[in-house]
Amino acid sequence: MRRLTRGTLAATFLRSFFIQGVWNYHTMLGAGFAFSLLPGLRRVYSDDPEGLEASVQRHLEHFNSHPYLSGVALGAVLRLEDEGVDEETVRRFKIAVRGPLGSLGDRLVWATWLPLVVVASLVLYWLGAGWVWVTVFFLAVYNVGHLGLRAWGLRAGLAAGRDVAGRLAAARIGDRAVRLEPVGAVFVGLLAAVLLGGPLGSADGGAVWMGLGAAAFVGGLVGGHRVWRPAAAGTVVVVVLISLLGVLR
Amino acid sequence: MICRTPIGWLLQPFSGAEAQLGIDLLRLSLLGGLLGLDGTSVGQFMVSRPLVAGVFAGWVVGDPVTGLAVGAILELYLLVSFPTGGARFPEGATATVVAVGVATALPGPGALPLGVVLGLVWGQLGGLSVTLYRKANTRLLPQAGEALRAGGLGRVLSIALTLDFFRAVVVTTTGLIVGLSLLGPLAAAWPLDEAGSKALLVAGGATSAGILLNDLGGLRARKAWFAVGLLAGLIGVTLL
Repeated sequence: MRRLTRGTLAATFLRSFFIQGVWNYHTMLGAGFAFSLLPGLRRVYSDDPEGLEASVQRHLEHFNSHPYLSGVALGAVLRLEDEGVDEETVRRFKIAVRGPLGSLGDRLVWATWLPLVVVASLVLYWLGAGWVWVTVFFLAVYNVGHLGLRAWGLRAGLAAGRDVAGRLAAARIGDRAVRLEPVGAVFVGLLAAVLLGGPLGSADGGAVWMGLGAAAFVGGLVGGHRVWRPAAAGTVVVVVLISLLGVLR
Repeated sequence: MICRTPIGWLLQPFSGAEAQLGIDLLRLSLLGGLLGLDGTSVGQFMVSRPLVAGVFAGWVVGDPVTGLAVGAILELYLLVSFPTGGARFPEGATATVVAVGVATALPGPGALPLGVVLGLVWGQLGGLSVTLYRKANTRLLPQAGEALRAGGLGRVLSIALTLDFFRAVVVTTTGLIVGLSLLGPLAAAWPLDEAGSKALLVAGGATSAGILLNDLGGLRARKAWFAVGLLAGLIGVTLL
């Protein structure tokens, strides 16, 4: 890389935490992407103010990605811009990577890593751990993965440039998510046990609540996401009815 | 006694408890604004998850233990709700701050279920406000034929973040005002004891744990792993 300094890359990394800062239904992450690239673009176009403005306009266009993996695209685009690759190639590259970066990130982070750490933290809570331990455990463990993924993404993008698809394939992100799923299932088993059988869960309320909890668990297992809203609404209705019963008594 | 300063005059009609309630309301609203930013706009370090937001809100009002209890139950409900792409999802941060504010202010064992339920409802309204905010963000960007200069990018981002902060502050403040003004009589007449109230909430939230197992491959594919966890958990709660 000819013009990108460590300071520029550090600024890009820090700005990538704001990549969803102007999230909108028209360009999605487009404005945040341009904002994150700006320190690098200023270096690349240091002698060409008009080129800088034109480049910013191009990067304001629609872009989407998982926020934690957006560094892959940022790093690769910075490298392409630094190498003086033509604008149409850069645009086509961004269109090509946005889908995989979104789906891989959703699968690894939102569908696996975050639920796994959340469930482990909830198990700690229902086993009686104090508020400091639960909070520190959740934030520390989750953000080790979060920050590691962001840093890896930017480095991988910078190193691979337009060949980043090969780097993503070699990282086997999808496989890692699949490998984490059984671990997640173990933690869901632990959670079910402490929720339904633990003293801080349903057990203290009696057999009826334990039975209802077990039925709700099976309902979620069988019905999937379509039963979430009815279950939450059902809780709201039951609490309101019990409240009214108390008032009328 | 006549107060000589404007602040003294402003505080004069309030008792000590009322003034404290006002200060807590202000602190919780600002906290809701800050945690709301983490939901999507800034960082996503997950301090906006109910588990963490509950502790922070509880800490602000001097009761992090209740804060964690409320946050853990709301986290259980929102276990399968994540900020994916453009989908509308319940906003956990503001909902949790509202729930904790109400649960720590109301009396008796009804405070927890009423706070959590208000949090569940307010999470939906918070999600709706996020959708409206995202639509408003479109107007900040250059329309067809216009250009946004490089120097203007930081300004657009600042405006968007400020809007998001105040959106979350308004959602939190209104939730707290609604909860504190309407739920007091219901909490006072709540008929269940503390154990029954918690068990009720946990029973409803167990649905999310089932949904999550489904997402992780389903019981058929993961039955051995799930059984290991269940057995270990049952042994653990028996020993503890």
